[in-house]
Amino acid sequence: MNTVKIALIATFCALSIGTDYALVGVPNVKLMDLIVFLGGFLFGSVVGSSIGIVSWLIYGSINPYGFEPRIWVATMLVESVYGITGGLLRKALGSTSLSSERLRLSILFATMGFLPTVLYDLITNIVYASVYNSPIIVAIFLGAPFAVLHEGANFLIFGVCSVPTIVALRKLRKDDR
Amino acid sequence: MTDKTFLMNKWILVALVVLCWALAASFMAGYYYYQYSDLSSKVKGQSITANLGISYGNGSATRWLNETKINSGSTLLDLTRLVASVNYTESLSGASVNAIDGVPSSGGKYWLWWSYSSYGWTFGQVACDRYVVGENETVVWYLEAFANAQPPS
Repeated sequence: MNTVKIALIATFCALSIGTDYALVGVPNVKLMDLIVFLGGFLFGSVVGSSIGIVSWLIYGSINPYGFEPRIWVATMLVESVYGITGGLLRKALGSTSLSSERLRLSILFATMGFLPTVLYDLITNIVYASVYNSPIIVAIFLGAPFAVLHEGANFLIFGVCSVPTIVALRKLRKDDR
Repeated sequence: MTDKTFLMNKWILVALVVLCWALAASFMAGYYYYQYSDLSSKVKGQSITANLGISYGNGSATRWLNETKINSGSTLLDLTRLVASVNYTESLSGASVNAIDGVPSSGGKYWLWWSYSSYGWTFGQVACDRYVVGENETVVWYLEAFANAQPPS
């Protein structure tokens, strides 16, 4: 792992934490998920999931919404799903140029923002329900408006921002394919 | 620049988008179901009125039981049993009415029901024990054949 990569990973963590605090007034609309995903796409699943875990390690322990250890651990681990998705998608796309087929790629990235968010919301709602002794099914469905807002926001953010950001960061790394 | 097979299949992208939409719609359907159940349980037991008509299909005039008081959340079967004797059979799809006030369904004619709303008359699509009667709603029982089912005049 070279110094540029370490610096980029540190920057990704700082960015995700910083944007989370900046967007604290907008519940469930966050750039952290995109940043973790991009980390996985650019550097692989292990690095991507590490960005997610480290980001939540810090943001979750100084969380403006409060601190609950079990929810903190769950969100920390589940956030890594974005990094893993990013890494897997990079493998699935192989040598596909991001400069061409932008519309199709944007739609694909949008769905890759939505689907892991469904998993994230499901798991965090289940953990939330078990921590507060609520029925799991009720917690999942009563939390649906927030979950759908989170998923819809990620659909848009991933769809609009992923391709241009990846192209720009690859240029920065001077290995644009 | 050769690994485009996955991307070139537009149906994969369409399927992914539809999957996202279906998941979001399912979650919201579940949310509204729980909201509806919660609201129903809160208003259950409050007294409301409904209008019930029974047309026995033998040329006689429809028997109207207007402004019948029932508890909120009551089904059409509850309302009908309140004002008439009802013989019915329960099954997985709900209660099937065999006779009202001793008048049985026979000769290809069945006890069917219609509900009146701001859109006009609507044919009852569900079993009467699955249909919750609303405030001031008008519902009519008709003894008629499925093929000849017409909105009440």
